[in-house]
Amino acid sequence: ALATFQSHSKRKARKDWISLIYSSNLTPEQIVNENAANESPANDPVDDFFHIRTAVFANDDDLDMTKEAISQDALKEWEDDVLLESIRNLFITGERVVPEDSHK
Amino acid sequence: MAQTGSLVHFHGHQYLRQRLVLSILSGKSVRVDKIRSDDKNPGLRDYEISLLRLLEKVTNGTVIEISVTGTAILLKPGIIAGGSVSHDCPLSRSVGYFLEPLIMLAPFAKKPFQLTLRGITTDDNDLSADLIRTVTLPHLQLFGISDGLELRIKKRGAPPEGGGEVQFLCPIVKQVKTLNFVEPGKIKRIRGIAHAVRVNPQFSNRMIDASRSVLNRYIPDIYLYSDVYKGEESGKSPGYALSILAESTTSVIHCSEAVSKPGVTPEEIALTATHALLSEIRQGGCVDRKHQNLVLLMMILGSEDVGRCRMGEPSVRTIQFLRDIKSFFGISFKIVPAEPSEPSSTELLFSCYGAGYINVNRSLA
Repeated sequence: ALATFQSHSKRKARKDWISLIYSSNLTPEQIVNENAANESPANDPVDDFFHIRTAVFANDDDLDMTKEAISQDALKEWEDDVLLESIRNLFITGERVVPEDSHK
Repeated sequence: MAQTGSLVHFHGHQYLRQRLVLSILSGKSVRVDKIRSDDKNPGLRDYEISLLRLLEKVTNGTVIEISVTGTAILLKPGIIAGGSVSHDCPLSRSVGYFLEPLIMLAPFAKKPFQLTLRGITTDDNDLSADLIRTVTLPHLQLFGISDGLELRIKKRGAPPEGGGEVQFLCPIVKQVKTLNFVEPGKIKRIRGIAHAVRVNPQFSNRMIDASRSVLNRYIPDIYLYSDVYKGEESGKSPGYALSILAESTTSVIHCSEAVSKPGVTPEEIALTATHALLSEIRQGGCVDRKHQNLVLLMMILGSEDVGRCRMGEPSVRTIQFLRDIKSFFGISFKIVPAEPSEPSSTELLFSCYGAGYINVNRSLA
């Protein structure tokens, strides 16, 4: 579970949000879900004659919801004690992180 | 998206609410085409038409043209009038769907808002009346909108029949303050509301116990309030929900909510809400994901100074909102990592130069 937490916070490379948002033609969904961007038809070799049109969303009305759908699978990881303890430092009862240069 | 003079042009029904709000605030007309034109049931939905009607009620001089098929609309904005307005919301969406855009408009009205909405007060799609009262409104206070700001839940209304009623009171301001919110702090207290209508009142206590079983390990300052409405105040349908929020030492608020579903026990609902809150806290930043758009909007409307806010990664809605802000106001944000020296951190620092937006409607009063 701790590994899951670490993998959540670590990314291979930082996104350049300014260019992704303001200078790219990617949809917001493609920006958020990097895998979707990589699998987009623009990156695949496509036949000149045939174009496959894929629906991005099963239900288009989902987009106008303020609450994001809660994935039960993603929440299941919180049943693990190790993961629950891993965020203790975000509460006032957690350990105080002392900066390394504070002794200088 | 295309832009010609003072007309901004979009396709599709997505993000309709935010585009209507930005149109009214910026004074630029908006035209939206191809609204579900490929759908079996093309055109605007009942809740979208109801929202347009409500916008017409709270503004003065707004012209809304809808095509015969309902697949295209043109909105020429007027002034935000405010004042006393009441509206019956359709049962397809909760009052939160209608309140969210109006909260963005209300501070810039000619008269203080006294808006009464009737319908469903809590559902799975939009912010519930409880979250708007306890989380959304405190976010407005960051920008100096506070005196007289209130949401009263007169009656609760669970889906499908609703029957709830809320009253939203909002003061007007001349200009909003510049935000500088970069310290997330540490979570110092947790508050929550467990409500149950037309079901066994013990359900709310069961939700509280289940939520506490997880949260008690972190901090002692936890108060989960059981809110049971009876009689006419409990609406027309049975339902229950748990809304919880965590507040940090620097007044950052993270929130979550879970609503009753058939066949799901109160304990499961409570654990879903609690685990979702922990996910939000782990996400970090100074603004909850559900409130990124509201804060970013107020930042660009702020005085002519640099506003800064630390947030988690933007949601899908937020990314489109940033693009739409640029279309209407011509303002883009600088987005950089909040902790450049820490590769594991995903938090971002959003900064922009405020437009110095002045509430001209107020000076007309």
